[in-house]
Amino acid sequence: MDPAVPVRVLFTDGFSRKYTGGQKEFGVEARNLRGVISAMEKRFPGLGEHILEETTVAIDGEIHETAFFQPVRHGSEVFFIPKIEGG
Amino acid sequence: MNEIKKPYKWVGTSQIRPDGVPKVTGIAKYGADYTLPGALFGNILRSPHGHARIKSIDTSKAQALPGVKAVVTSADFPDQTFAYVGPERVAANFWHITRNVMAREKVLYDGHAVAAVAAVDAATAAQAVSLIEIDYEVLQAVVDVDEAMADDAPLLFEDMITRGIEPAPTKPSNISKRLQFEIGDLEAGFAEADVIVEKNFKTAAVHQGYIEPHACLARYDSDGQGEIWSSSQGHFVVRGLTAKLIGMNLADLKVYPAEIGGGFGGKTVVYLEPVAMLLAKKSGLPVRLTMSRDEVFKASGPTSGASMTVRIGVKKDGTLSAAEGVFNFQAGAFPGSPVMNACLCAFAPYNIANQKAVGYDVVSNRPKAAAYRAPGSPISAFGVESVLDILAKKIGMDPLELRMKNAARIGAPSIAGPKLAYEGYAQTVQAMLDHPGYKTKLGPNQGRGVASGYWFNGAGESGATVYVNTDGTVTIATGSPDIGGSRASMALMTAETLGVDYNDVRATVNDTTSVPYTHVTGGSRVTFATGLAVVGACEKVIVELCARAAMIWDVDPEGVIWEDGHAKPAGANVGDFEPLSLKAIAAKSGATGGPIGASNAVNAGGQAPGFATQFCDVEVDPDTGLVKILRFVAAQDAGRAIHPDYVEGQIQGGVVQGIGWALNEEYIYDEKGLLQNAGFLDYRVPVASDLPMIEAVIVEVPNPNHPFGVKGVGEVGICPTMAAVANAIADAVGRRMDSLPMSPPKVLAALDDRNEQEL
Repeated sequence: MDPAVPVRVLFTDGFSRKYTGGQKEFGVEARNLRGVISAMEKRFPGLGEHILEETTVAIDGEIHETAFFQPVRHGSEVFFIPKIEGG
Repeated sequence: MNEIKKPYKWVGTSQIRPDGVPKVTGIAKYGADYTLPGALFGNILRSPHGHARIKSIDTSKAQALPGVKAVVTSADFPDQTFAYVGPERVAANFWHITRNVMAREKVLYDGHAVAAVAAVDAATAAQAVSLIEIDYEVLQAVVDVDEAMADDAPLLFEDMITRGIEPAPTKPSNISKRLQFEIGDLEAGFAEADVIVEKNFKTAAVHQGYIEPHACLARYDSDGQGEIWSSSQGHFVVRGLTAKLIGMNLADLKVYPAEIGGGFGGKTVVYLEPVAMLLAKKSGLPVRLTMSRDEVFKASGPTSGASMTVRIGVKKDGTLSAAEGVFNFQAGAFPGSPVMNACLCAFAPYNIANQKAVGYDVVSNRPKAAAYRAPGSPISAFGVESVLDILAKKIGMDPLELRMKNAARIGAPSIAGPKLAYEGYAQTVQAMLDHPGYKTKLGPNQGRGVASGYWFNGAGESGATVYVNTDGTVTIATGSPDIGGSRASMALMTAETLGVDYNDVRATVNDTTSVPYTHVTGGSRVTFATGLAVVGACEKVIVELCARAAMIWDVDPEGVIWEDGHAKPAGANVGDFEPLSLKAIAAKSGATGGPIGASNAVNAGGQAPGFATQFCDVEVDPDTGLVKILRFVAAQDAGRAIHPDYVEGQIQGGVVQGIGWALNEEYIYDEKGLLQNAGFLDYRVPVASDLPMIEAVIVEVPNPNHPFGVKGVGEVGICPTMAAVANAIADAVGRRMDSLPMSPPKVLAALDDRNEQEL
């Protein structure tokens, strides 16, 4: 079993003002996005649902839908940004 | 000479379009082509006012008219909770959506639906709506975004408090939301600049201009189940919105995708389907509803008009040190403009350490804005790319060289926060620098302009099913309506993955009960996301084909590999067997376990953004102000062009729509908020005789997160175009056009302006 790894979690100004008291950066231990979201939910109850509903995620700059299964690596930067819809 | 081996047999080739014959022979069935025995004709009564309170509605005379089978108003729709549900960009608020589909307390724009009837024929339906009596209290309308933001503006919603401002304002306004994104230290960045340019711009609301009006057929059965046939960019989304608006379960509503005659983002929402379904429910008969062109313009979504201020600082060596933009977007009658996209895309092609973007979402008495090709991005690009052109001239630098010097490469900061993970932009700039036309000399009153653009490209949820038929042909079913060649690209990726002939693959778009949920065809997501679903399904089929071959050979499945469309022994120890083709295995599928096929569903991620850079040459007639496009060259990073002809078509289509937006297209309202040009005669889109051949340059910097390198091509081609044209006009006549459209009267007025020449 892989050891849990530290991950750098970041939110935008607007999101952090709304949900995390303005704190934009966190360190969590996780192997996938489910772990990241669970760790944030523990710190801010209810936040997990907001992350799932309102964000897309950039893992080391690569954009993904915010979904549980995405793996994160040691030292990954996980940046939750607003969802985008196109035409 | 070394032979260059093409990496793929089918991917990257422009095969015959599967939709070609049906479309040119008239076989293709669009939304208005569907009917059922006994189907009624629907008609919608629309507001004659730009803004009015509905005091009463009397439908009794219409209901009494012989031949009328049903009349509905907003009273027939369940009301919805006021809540912004889901991601903030779309922020679906069903309290608003139901009021857009059918007005309740107020009509908020010219053409707003107020009531609907279904009758035995079109003439009776038209007569019936004329008999509906509505008592209006006419209110002052506001259509201009800046006027709508003013303190004394007439309010569309008397209780709307701007979101995104802390503490929340106490006074209501038409400003639905304020957004802000910022990185670095803006003022320090401007302090480093040698030249700073700040300028205001204005863009007009424009319609997507799809040729096929909205149309649908709906039936509702006594057991509570319904069916819809409609032209849309996403029949699963039609299902979801319609079910929510009229109170049905998703499983009770089946939606069939019609062929679609253009969408460009405007068919990602619903207008007619819930109304037709309610009329069908009330009458007990199927109902057809079709918009006229007048209704399309008045009551379906254009994109936002906007006003903006852009300020950018540059050092003498060409380094951009700071960039700031304030973007005010018309949302139409209900909140939800693409202003967030405008903020996020504005400076995205560039590596600028210090950036700030502020956006305002503003309601006014216009139809609710809908998505339109890279929604938001072309609007902010018009301002940003115009200012960059001025800066390049001020520091004496070639405008493409300025862009290349500041090109965002891997690791560049973005205003949303994450660092850019992909190449692609600089390659589009280089393609234009390398183009032989870029350095050619121009004549009097002629000028050249360049501009760039950015679009995120999408991904997300898609499903696909692949069936191997017993004759060796392959059927692919997806849930992605084909608006830009997806059937061809899915068939090409299938042929490549399975190793079969493209002509043996038939791609179809299936209804909501026949394939897994698939999100809209929009956001330039389909070739990437649905492509991943299709390739995944093909890979599952290959596993099954190998298992069937193993059964035929009586060996372990692990001993079989798939190569060039054939099952082969993995090694000599497996045995000496002749390779088995897909066709040979399919022919024995009954004996080896039954039909061969697989479904696959994904929530795709890892999409890479699209970049475009363009240059155009124009000639300005100094007597009339007419701008003629002499040449247009458009480079775009596709990642990988699965079907190059279609990619070229997407680039050309985006540019042509951008030229229309640049030169002619606009919604024109009178002082009462009534639309004056709701038809293609007065709302002028470019026609072939207005245009030169648009030269598309396909750049390919593959996306590592897709098996064939796909990024997405549908949208970014429109982003630079308006600015490229404006910059060319400035180069030709020394006048900076800061307001769209740059129609002959406006250009003439700029030429007649005796003020000092602007860059």
